[in-house]
Amino acid sequence: MRLAWIVVSLSLSADIGAAQGRAPSQADDVWRLEVQGEAAQAQTRLRQAAAATNASPAALRAYAEFLDRYRDPGTREAYTRLTQALDRGNIPAADKAAIYRRLAGLDLEAGDRAAAERHIAAYAAAGGTGLSLPQAGPSGEAQAVYIEIPGPWLSFARMAALSPDLKPDDLLPALARNVVTNGYQATSAAEGLEQTEYLKLIVRYLSQARELAKLSGEDKMVRVETCDSTNTGDLLRVLGYRIRGACGSDLVLETVNASRAFLTIDSGFPLEKLEEALRTNRPFTLDYHPARVPLIYDLDYWQTVKDRAQGEFIDNFLGDPALCRLYLALSKLDPDTAAELRKQIPAARLKVYAHVLDFFGGMFEVRDGKAVVPGGARAEKAWADLATVGPDKGAAFFEKLISKDDGWLASYYDALARINGPVKDYLTEPERLKRFYGAIRGKVTSPGPARPVFRSNTDMLLLTTRLRLDPDGKPHLPGGLEVWKNLFVNHPRGKYDAKLTRAAPSWKDGDDVLEALFGLARKMAENEALKIFMALSDVERGRSTPLQPATVERLAREYRDMSAQYTIFAEAPGLTDKTILQFLDTAHSISGIRDPGLRADAAGTMQALAGLWQILLRQNSITQADSDGTLSALLESFGKIQNEREVFDSGMTGVRLLLKDTHSPANVSPQDRMIDLLAGTAVENSSDTHQQMIEEMIRIFEAQRLVSLSTLFDLADNLDSVSRGEKLNTALAGRLASRISEVQLPRTSITGEEKSALAFGYWTERHIDFQRKINLRATIDKAANDPQKLKDLRGQLAPFLRDTLVGLNYVHYAPPGAQVLHTNPLFVRSHDFIGIQGSEQTWKRTEVFGSGWPANAGGRLVGSLSTLPYALGEAEQNFLIPSKEQALIWGDLVPQMILTGTIPRWWNVSPLQIHWVGANMAYAEALIADSTLSTQRRAAVEAVLNDYAPPARLKKMDAALARGDVRGALDNVVPAEMYLLACDLAPGDKESPLAAGLRKMAAENPEALSKQTISRTFGTPKPTLANSFQPELLNLRTFPTLMGYSSRILAESWESNLLYYAALADEIHAAPAQLNVLVPEWTQQTVERIFATNLEDWPALLRSLRTLGQEVRDKAQKQGSQAAD
Amino acid sequence: MSIAIRRFGLVFLLVALAIAQDRPTFRVKVDMVVLSFQVTDSKGHYKNGLKPGDFRILEDGIPQKLNTFAEGNKPPLQIATDGAVPAAVPAPAEGGSGVVDTRSDAFVGTNVFVLFDTSNYMYRGFVYASDAIADFIRGLDRADSVAVYTYSRNLSRAAPLSKERTDAIGGLRKAVAGDDSALYNSLLLTLRDAAKVPGRKVVIVFSNGPDNASMVAPDDVRAVAEDEGIPIYVISTNEVNKDPISSNVFKRISNRTGGKSYFARTWQKQVEAFEAIREDLGNSYTVTYYPQPNPNEGFRKISVEVVSDVGKKYRVQCRPGYRPRGGF
Repeated sequence: MRLAWIVVSLSLSADIGAAQGRAPSQADDVWRLEVQGEAAQAQTRLRQAAAATNASPAALRAYAEFLDRYRDPGTREAYTRLTQALDRGNIPAADKAAIYRRLAGLDLEAGDRAAAERHIAAYAAAGGTGLSLPQAGPSGEAQAVYIEIPGPWLSFARMAALSPDLKPDDLLPALARNVVTNGYQATSAAEGLEQTEYLKLIVRYLSQARELAKLSGEDKMVRVETCDSTNTGDLLRVLGYRIRGACGSDLVLETVNASRAFLTIDSGFPLEKLEEALRTNRPFTLDYHPARVPLIYDLDYWQTVKDRAQGEFIDNFLGDPALCRLYLALSKLDPDTAAELRKQIPAARLKVYAHVLDFFGGMFEVRDGKAVVPGGARAEKAWADLATVGPDKGAAFFEKLISKDDGWLASYYDALARINGPVKDYLTEPERLKRFYGAIRGKVTSPGPARPVFRSNTDMLLLTTRLRLDPDGKPHLPGGLEVWKNLFVNHPRGKYDAKLTRAAPSWKDGDDVLEALFGLARKMAENEALKIFMALSDVERGRSTPLQPATVERLAREYRDMSAQYTIFAEAPGLTDKTILQFLDTAHSISGIRDPGLRADAAGTMQALAGLWQILLRQNSITQADSDGTLSALLESFGKIQNEREVFDSGMTGVRLLLKDTHSPANVSPQDRMIDLLAGTAVENSSDTHQQMIEEMIRIFEAQRLVSLSTLFDLADNLDSVSRGEKLNTALAGRLASRISEVQLPRTSITGEEKSALAFGYWTERHIDFQRKINLRATIDKAANDPQKLKDLRGQLAPFLRDTLVGLNYVHYAPPGAQVLHTNPLFVRSHDFIGIQGSEQTWKRTEVFGSGWPANAGGRLVGSLSTLPYALGEAEQNFLIPSKEQALIWGDLVPQMILTGTIPRWWNVSPLQIHWVGANMAYAEALIADSTLSTQRRAAVEAVLNDYAPPARLKKMDAALARGDVRGALDNVVPAEMYLLACDLAPGDKESPLAAGLRKMAAENPEALSKQTISRTFGTPKPTLANSFQPELLNLRTFPTLMGYSSRILAESWESNLLYYAALADEIHAAPAQLNVLVPEWTQQTVERIFATNLEDWPALLRSLRTLGQEVRDKAQKQGSQAAD
Repeated sequence: MSIAIRRFGLVFLLVALAIAQDRPTFRVKVDMVVLSFQVTDSKGHYKNGLKPGDFRILEDGIPQKLNTFAEGNKPPLQIATDGAVPAAVPAPAEGGSGVVDTRSDAFVGTNVFVLFDTSNYMYRGFVYASDAIADFIRGLDRADSVAVYTYSRNLSRAAPLSKERTDAIGGLRKAVAGDDSALYNSLLLTLRDAAKVPGRKVVIVFSNGPDNASMVAPDDVRAVAEDEGIPIYVISTNEVNKDPISSNVFKRISNRTGGKSYFARTWQKQVEAFEAIREDLGNSYTVTYYPQPNPNEGFRKISVEVVSDVGKKYRVQCRPGYRPRGGF
């Protein structure tokens, strides 16, 4: 028995190398199955072994730990069974203690304190030390002061547009935010503010609710006994309805007072139930207790005596946006820091700077009476100089911070506090800290960064986040110092900043450039140099050899026109300078084509080929080593386009080149092969999923009435033969004609004159019309045996080839559902590479245009293909159907969610990699549960999370742990943080078997489980934050909404979805290939379940993610039970 | 039922790419066509009581063999191959669970999808519109099922398809007003849902007209309704001349799908419009048939002729045709 125990323990421990030499045991087999993705089989074996009568403790432990790694709901039960068998074996006391410890954590996770107490006692009896069960103290909510809002909470929430899923603590902050952002608008006549319709409705609702509350009497129940009761009329009057018809089945309630009736419906009063009760002459009752909402601090802090005399708290609150702002700001601070601030600063003074505190106070922290500052002790003196009060003064330091320079100093603090690592150390070096702040501050501080609706220190946040250091510890300057000096002196367009232009020639090092960039970071306009710096830093980020200065110089100078294309260069670090320059030359050459139709065809074909190359490179169908040669060859012929025939030939050559460089068989059908490649290179056992993807891609291709590559190339070959005197292949020509007949010009309701005035869509309609009018036979007849004309015939196929290639890009990035692509057969053909007259959008970002214009032919995409995945997500997002009443799809965030689900492919992901993520998540959950019992563990966990979570959230988690509320603690940690937590702590954790399992996996598969590989496999594309669609994990703190980007950067910094889905797939034992279908589905479902209250409500996203996870688990469990039956 | 048919579209790509020159033959499922129409005399009065033999249905001029025939909300009659009318198709039990029957030809009544505009544009008339729709739902035939969807920028399935009127009215009364209007996006999604339900169905759009958020064009949505055989009725709360572009679009999509459009600014007119729709539904004939072999892969024109002498003066209103559905 003892031997078996040791074998199992050894098999799970990466630290004991002696195990490697022994003969394979069942434990080895099970482990092999587990890492090979045969988890179900492994589970069956372990379950059978554990189910045997007198099953050994080793078998029971192996089963329990297996379930633990998969976060199986049966884990606790399996451990409990194990404890019952512990006395049977000669098991080391330390192992016994470890088992009881884990079980106590699981007990707390399940909310079973009594069991946890028992198991902690057993742990101590086995010799374990250092664990204690915290007192089941009340949650913060129970200790809070409450205010009352008339009427039920859900009615108020509907009126105030608050999510019904909000936690009590979050209700007033959410209301405060809505009042601040939506409640008031500037009056046209004076400088004051007036209530918006949103707030007027809330106020009117409160008035109606008070009337109803009066009717509800002492017991707070609205009652109508029968239809002809005396109070029926009173109730209906308040509701704004009256009875039509006599009491009984003919009775109908109809509106008599529209404004009251509107409130009745909008607040969700159960009118249909009242009506039904009156029709059936049954009593109607409605619980009308007021909503009790927790308040931070007591009422005296928020209300003066005068305020109290004027109304209830909620009335004062809604009537005072500055009070709302202060409430919102204080709710974002960790409670201890907020208490320090409250002690130090009178509310009236704090209210003046509430806007600064709201935007930039989230990272403030007072610890042991001292303000925590970025850079730590080394930087304290510099911060003291800047704020004129030292961090040792605690809250007084923060008071200075928010009141100084219109909020610039606070925003600087916030930007630096959000980052970690060497860049933070570099930027907080005392002299540098002061120097760069001087640049940001400038001479005139107004307007401050907290004045607008969104934080306007966007560029500063992006600069500090994306700055990187070279191995010598100095900031990386793409192209070197001279390039940047030259850029500021001989700027491409207009002036950047006269002072900087004068100073640039004397710059000596990177800090001079950084100082200039920080200076530009406070500007909303004329800060192009900063944007260039960030974009080119991203282009260089993955390169082994930096770009030549001349290349950087050119990229910088062409930034305004060509920057949208730089994502291609950022995603392909193997590109040479020559090819990058060739790309730019080719683009210029195409832009120089005078005929807009030919220019659009050339640009569309070239961009579509580059887009396909980018996809194939991302999917490893083209290797990094080949990437440069392939792109260069693709571009070659586009540099000298003169007619449509050359466009076609270049396109056809490009396709053949892509097929060749992806090692396609010689005689393969180009169409079949390209679709196959775009779906992703399938591995064995994924054929069903692969076929499913291919079928969906073909459905979209067909819905767009595109002509297959094979047909086009065969026809082109045939037309070549015609030019040599052979006959036209009528079957092929017929096939094209048949497809052409399906292409109808969109019907519009605006006149030709109006259309000309708009000058929008003219060239796409010509493009479509040209295709409709093609008649190959007539053209051949017209050519009358002129060899040159016959040779040029295949130029007529160029617009078709352009659409097919553009369409293949659309098909690859098609969002889940793809309603637009399935419904509008001209969506691909309508892609406008020219854009609105005078805007020259050929190389700009892809944009959605023309939505909400019923007179038009539907929305379409305009510009280049560079940001196609985002644009498609944007076009498709409003076809998703929110599953919750009143919820709307979260624009700006959802397109990023969609592209996160559509860009990555998981054909080459191994089961081990999925299991790695899942096992890390399981370990992180165990760590947090264990943190309730061990202060030492809690300190280690919080030290890691401190790098990712803001102080307030960390404090919430800590408070939950302190009262033994594991679920509450887990609610405050997002999946990406869980993963990082596990990765950080597993290597040094010698106690947890879960950590031992992780170490073993990592030791056996260092390459497959390296940080870089996992980042690439389960990371997300970040076109704005990293200028690249290449998926990666940047491990950033979740960003707030930012001026110019709304929630878009927040969405890009959210890296939890794919990690969560991977762990979920591991739990339900899904094969990696299935992720290719499951992830888009899960993404859609996640998005549809979000009910966000505001543009920073990422907790709503987390709730949605977890709801989906539970549904998937329940479904899998149900299916498993059915299969077992 | 399956028929052999030559195709070059969707299926072509699957196999024909490997067999470049040949036109392969595939077996594809052809959906049963459900066709509803009204017959009126020269004064616009509905003509009831006509029999299956009084009609001739043609698709691209090809006569079709009827499978079932129903008048109003009466149970459909099965048509024998010789044209005889032996028996009614068994109808689902009354007063059941409220779950909609899923047999494709056993439908009784109509599946009515009400699409209610709750965008900012409807802010003023919101409660009156809600009353008018509630009245309409209450007045539907017992055999009908009804779903209430609402839309602003996004669609909301306020009450799924059900025979329970209280559920539908409950869903309607929970609608929340506000935000942009994506009428055509939402109409498309409603049609997609309706298309999944077997039997006779209609969509009734109750809207103020403007659309400032849709990605799809009205005519693309109309094409989907045509192909699925779903008439669209529109009640606009705007005056016909106030927004001529929307009015024209409404007229076009309703006429082309076999529905009608009404411009009813006041509550009274809205009630009248709903009454007219209810009458239309109650006075419709509904036939089903499986299309005869037809090489036309594109739009197939449908015509309904009343063959009796007296019927030659009658006017038949039905959708003009449809495109056969593709599929693997």
